[in-house]
Amino acid sequence: MDISMFSIILFFISFFGVLFSNNIIKTIISVLIMQTATVLFWLTLNVTGTTPEAPIIYDPALLDDIQIIADPVPQSATITAIIIGFAVSAIVITMFNSMCRQYGTADWETMERLATGGVD
Amino acid sequence: MLPFFVIGPVLVAVILFITSGNRIMQALSVVFQAGLLAASVWLLIQTRETVVYFNIGDYDSLLGIVLRANSLSAVFVFLTAFIFLAIFIFTYKDKREQYMFRFLLFILEAALIGLFLTGDFFNIFVLVEVSTLVIVILTMYDRERRNVFYGKIFLLLNIVAIQFFLLGLGYLYRLTGVLNLAAATEILATTDKSDLVLPYTLIMTAVAFKCSLIPFFSWLPKVRLYPGAPSGVAAILSGLQIKSAIYIYICFSDLFSPVAAPELFVVLGIIMGLFGAVMAFCQTDIKLLLAYSTISQVGLIMIGLNSGCEYSRIGGLYHIVNHAVFKTTLFLCASVIIRVYGTADITRIRGVFKRMPVVSVAAFLAVLGIIGAPFFNGSISKYFITYDIPQWLYAVVIVLSLCTIVYYYKFSVMFTGKADNSDIEIEKCWVAPIAFLGVTRLAGGIFGPQIIEFFFRYPVSINAFGYFQKTMIFFASVAAGFWIFKYADKIRWLESLGSLRAGFKTLCGSLLVFFIVMTLYVGL
Amino acid sequence: MTYPILILALVCAVIIIAEHRVYRMIIYFGIFSLIVSVGYLLLGAPDVAMAEAVTSAFSTIFFIVCVERYYNSERNTESVNKKTKWFGWAISLLLTAAGFVVYLLFIPQAEPAEFLKDLYLTRFMTDVGGENSITAIYLAYRVYDTLFEALILVISVVAVVHLSYFVGSTPDKGRRSEIERSGMTAFTMRLICPVIFIFAIYLIANGHISAGGGFQGGLAVATFFICRYLIHGIYDLPVKVIVRLEEVIFIAIVAVAIFVVVLGISAYIPDSILPVYRVIYLIMMNILIGLKVACGFFVLFYRFITIERR
Repeated sequence: MDISMFSIILFFISFFGVLFSNNIIKTIISVLIMQTATVLFWLTLNVTGTTPEAPIIYDPALLDDIQIIADPVPQSATITAIIIGFAVSAIVITMFNSMCRQYGTADWETMERLATGGVD
Repeated sequence: MLPFFVIGPVLVAVILFITSGNRIMQALSVVFQAGLLAASVWLLIQTRETVVYFNIGDYDSLLGIVLRANSLSAVFVFLTAFIFLAIFIFTYKDKREQYMFRFLLFILEAALIGLFLTGDFFNIFVLVEVSTLVIVILTMYDRERRNVFYGKIFLLLNIVAIQFFLLGLGYLYRLTGVLNLAAATEILATTDKSDLVLPYTLIMTAVAFKCSLIPFFSWLPKVRLYPGAPSGVAAILSGLQIKSAIYIYICFSDLFSPVAAPELFVVLGIIMGLFGAVMAFCQTDIKLLLAYSTISQVGLIMIGLNSGCEYSRIGGLYHIVNHAVFKTTLFLCASVIIRVYGTADITRIRGVFKRMPVVSVAAFLAVLGIIGAPFFNGSISKYFITYDIPQWLYAVVIVLSLCTIVYYYKFSVMFTGKADNSDIEIEKCWVAPIAFLGVTRLAGGIFGPQIIEFFFRYPVSINAFGYFQKTMIFFASVAAGFWIFKYADKIRWLESLGSLRAGFKTLCGSLLVFFIVMTLYVGL
Repeated sequence: MTYPILILALVCAVIIIAEHRVYRMIIYFGIFSLIVSVGYLLLGAPDVAMAEAVTSAFSTIFFIVCVERYYNSERNTESVNKKTKWFGWAISLLLTAAGFVVYLLFIPQAEPAEFLKDLYLTRFMTDVGGENSITAIYLAYRVYDTLFEALILVISVVAVVHLSYFVGSTPDKGRRSEIERSGMTAFTMRLICPVIFIFAIYLIANGHISAGGGFQGGLAVATFFICRYLIHGIYDLPVKVIVRLEEVIFIAIVAVAIFVVVLGISAYIPDSILPVYRVIYLIMMNILIGLKVACGFFVLFYRFITIERR
């Protein structure tokens, strides 16, 4: 089995969580897992077979056998993605926090009813 | 020179924040914005002949990030600088904690311009995230509870959609081995078609969500953000943010041209055009009416871009520019009206013309533009959209314009009637940009072909007989529209249709369904 | 070793989805991200592993603070609506399965193109310097992305500070923390604290030759301050000043990046000191980013702790 399969399975598991949950906290956690799945996908993109070494090179002789070194591009890209994901989710959690404080509930339907007052 | 367009606004934003919105700094920021507009004109002239490139750092263009400006992105940059200048002038005297508002606006501007200039697809992801985050924070700026709720749904949906985008980018990187758009285009031309299906649909799912093109549900929370958004932000949200998504759409459908499925997007455009028009007619809130109108117009733009005909595509591109300008005018007018009257309910506002003649004339010019009255810019872009498309599509566009006329009747009713007295002063800085934007409508119509040639480097000419024919159709639909409006205004159940809503789970489900349907269609 | 760890992560994810008690869900999430970051480490990505571990630890803390304060204990299980439950369950399962099958049908089969990887690995030592190719990409080749990433953190901090004040309520200043602190926790923290700080300095200063860097080190510095909070309780901090400080550091980052990378000053530097100059650039960027991230995360944490109560 291709190792990037794990991340795809993880992605759809978390998608199921998003579709299925009534609780906002669970939804947010599922979305965070989904982000993790994408990061895992990027890291396993070019991995074929053997476990790769970290692309930190003390010994330039290592460069002769470039196959065993992990691809550095997805790594720097995913660090960016992780930080952006964290920044966005911090805001989502803040918003949830303030709504939760106002209404004392974390249920999607209850909160929607309370937040929108049932009317437009 | 190109990084200046992106890093300049960021630096100005941060300096504004650090100095806590010092008066002098605020004035200087408007001056800076004017300078940016001048620079974007320079860029327009530069890109007439060649594509301008800039490598960040003295590395090989594949290793570093490349900025590139072709004629299309130069037009978008110009448009962004122009509309932001109008909005900065409009919000100049606002009393709220100004500096933070402006800080966010400048960053939004930087992110949008960056999107138009970037030549690297991972950078597109970063900038999309920045612009989405900033626009959501801006719409929640007043911390109004309904907006916080819908903002949360919108942000969560965005995270889900952007994961599709990232997966698609991952496959793109795996297939091409580069992150550069131009290099990727070359490599993808030789790649096996069946390998391109999944990246294409993954990316397009996210992009369609950003363009609010996923049928029936996915755009509802976005539209619901409008009523509570501060003035100016609503204008950017529909005037520019959706346009940036359309730009990304154009980018990626060029990239994936071997497997692209434009006919699917034509169908989506028709659905969204009609549905948006019906929903717009059902609203009583001015901002919601205008927001749904945007959905409808995006449908029209998609029809133009994807019909596969040369003139139609140019018409679609010109309609993007036009729509950005007249929707900004309308939103700014709407926010002045809401401030003066203290309500956004369209059935309770009357006599706007008596009280604010200049604003009303500008709004009226914008309405004439959007419904495509002769000699206004809307008529030119609609003329080219319908220039060489098949007959049945032509009929659909006529129906769409008819719907537009019907719901703008509803909008225009508020200009009539008597005005009651109110003591709210109308600031000059509100009126000036509105009036200016209003007049550009007429200019955009009369010099339409010249402007198209200047912007898109495509010589067009207007056939007098064809234009006359379309003008006749326009007048016929104005008459028909009036009759339909009289009739439809009395139907009660339309209002309940207008308050249609969907929860977060349904929206996510529709995203997944869209992905499944699109993949099956493209793949089989 | 990689496969068992990833399978464990999958199992953990399933457990989280199946769980309906909120506290457990959050703790399981913390465990999940720990497992995943071990997985990253095994995949040869120590930098990513560190970033993931620390950011998810922060999210977990935020969740716990949020739930503990405002969430009614009687209602801290998911509401179960018998009628719609099975229907919703079936629909979501069906949709997800359909999505998964469709995804598998069209998965690209082509061999990965490793063009950019080879190019970066053979050239980064001469182009940028340092021994960590990720730092080289992150701080030199793709510094433009990094600027926006730093910017998004600034926006996030500003927005959290702005949104967490509610209209019509005033923040309570100087209130002692409500979270009970046991003596044992404080004692342990006192022992760990200096170690964390030294580790943070190591991560930042050594980012260009080993795993780590400004972001990870900055998070560790923020963790150090959070430990101080756990020892001493809450203390008044000028949040606005720290936010301003963060932005000043951000401007410094942009300025350094523009001068060194965008304007390409390295062309005017004599060859003899060029390697030193490049390493100094990397270290300086790491230090600046570290400081900025530390400020930002500490403000985030502080806002979450002192957020006013109902």
